[in-house]
Amino acid sequence: MQAQHTVIDRVDQVAEDVVSLVLRAATGPLAPWEPGAHIDLTLPNWLTRSYSLCGDPDDQERYRVAVRHDPLSRGGSEYIHHYFRPGRALEVSPPRNHFPLLPAPRYLFLAGGIGITPLLPMLAAAVAADIPATLVYVGRSTSTMPFAEGLRARYGDRVRLVATSEDGRPDLGTLAESLAPDALVYCCGPAPMIAAAQAVFPAERLHTERFRPAARTFAPNTPFDAVCARSGRTVPVAADQSLLDALKRAGYPVASGCREGVCGSCELTVLSGNPEHRDDIGAPAGRMYACVSRALTPELHLDL
Amino acid sequence: MTQTGVRPRRLSLAEVRERLGPPDALVEAKILDRIDEHFRRFIAHSPFLSLATADAAGRADCSPRGDYPGFVKVLDEHTLAMPDRPGNKIADSFRNLAENDGVGLCFLVPGVRETLRVNGSAYATDEPDVLARMHTEGREAEMALIIEVEQAYFHCGRALVRSRLWDPASQALADEMPTAGELVTSQLGWDVDPKVVDEGLEDAYHTLY
Repeated sequence: MQAQHTVIDRVDQVAEDVVSLVLRAATGPLAPWEPGAHIDLTLPNWLTRSYSLCGDPDDQERYRVAVRHDPLSRGGSEYIHHYFRPGRALEVSPPRNHFPLLPAPRYLFLAGGIGITPLLPMLAAAVAADIPATLVYVGRSTSTMPFAEGLRARYGDRVRLVATSEDGRPDLGTLAESLAPDALVYCCGPAPMIAAAQAVFPAERLHTERFRPAARTFAPNTPFDAVCARSGRTVPVAADQSLLDALKRAGYPVASGCREGVCGSCELTVLSGNPEHRDDIGAPAGRMYACVSRALTPELHLDL
Repeated sequence: MTQTGVRPRRLSLAEVRERLGPPDALVEAKILDRIDEHFRRFIAHSPFLSLATADAAGRADCSPRGDYPGFVKVLDEHTLAMPDRPGNKIADSFRNLAENDGVGLCFLVPGVRETLRVNGSAYATDEPDVLARMHTEGREAEMALIIEVEQAYFHCGRALVRSRLWDPASQALADEMPTAGELVTSQLGWDVDPKVVDEGLEDAYHTLY
């Protein structure tokens, strides 16, 4: 994955605790992307953080992301809010998309807070293609909801803003009952909202993206062997070690980002063996994420 | 080494003060009682500090702490939080803090000659909202140290200038040192190949969290 060089063009406060960053290409056009894609920012404090692209996919000169200052920040969003200013050079990954907008005759978009970001270009694409689309955008109050005013102004009745401090939580059950049978639902928001959506919308028509891993428990780790087919080497992975760490230690240049199964930077191609997927991305067939996922078989054959 | 039985002469504080001259007024003025935005920026970029503690009798201890830059969180302008990562489990600092809560911290930022000194008091916590901010590489810190700031100040860079600490050429000094394996096997009189110890350490260094 080739890093792309950008310069921070603008930093704008777009809601309470939310800034939008516009990143300008520093060398040649930026890699293309489609709605739902995200990029990783490499921060000066060595952390890598993923943010959904929320600008215009046709603009090859600029990417836009929006970042909420998490009060429990480990150093990503806090750093961006305190220290990012226009003019700073920034390396970003090429876009990756784990949340692509599949063709459908109609859409329901469901956003919680900063979860609006991947849905913004989706809504724009649907409207541009004349496909009926509704956005239900939920937040504590409109002042905490980035882009809320602009959305209403631009898309009118297609956008329903729900401020929970005044309106309470939206009734997803009613939304699910009135959902057209051919509509797809795209939901991005905090864990409770995703859980609520999963409880009422048919699984095969619901697409979700989360910011942090879902709280889950797994069977105890067991050791396994990673057979690197291209280089003919076998790398043992100890029970207390991640596949990513074992491969890195053995000298394989596997990319890494969040290290918690959300961003997808460490994607590997599996040739044979059964991975135990522990990521929140939903690995496509033949792929796995080395930071969290392990093996159900004693060996995994990898395209490395 | 000094000659056996002959101790170097001990100076009184008055004699020391006489040799140093009066303290610089500017130096005293720059001591703050809180973490201002400049100190916060320093801490946000610091991957390393030394932590000094002492027991009830004043016996002192100093230990290194390091992680990604900004691993020490500024909770507010009077409060810092530092994760406790797996180390040697000796817990000297925690044992001292249980008896005597005074701490001194000296933060470094690679490439910066000035250091940030923070003095105050500290205690251990397992507060979930504090530990959540220290979650890294899929692991939580099990404990954190809360530091209540009483004094914070920049320490001038002469020590780092004289020591050429950030000059890449200074790393040639490492070539003159025994490896950790050579040192340990010699000190403990172990009859093992130092390389085995070094490889073991190298393994351990791959599990950082």
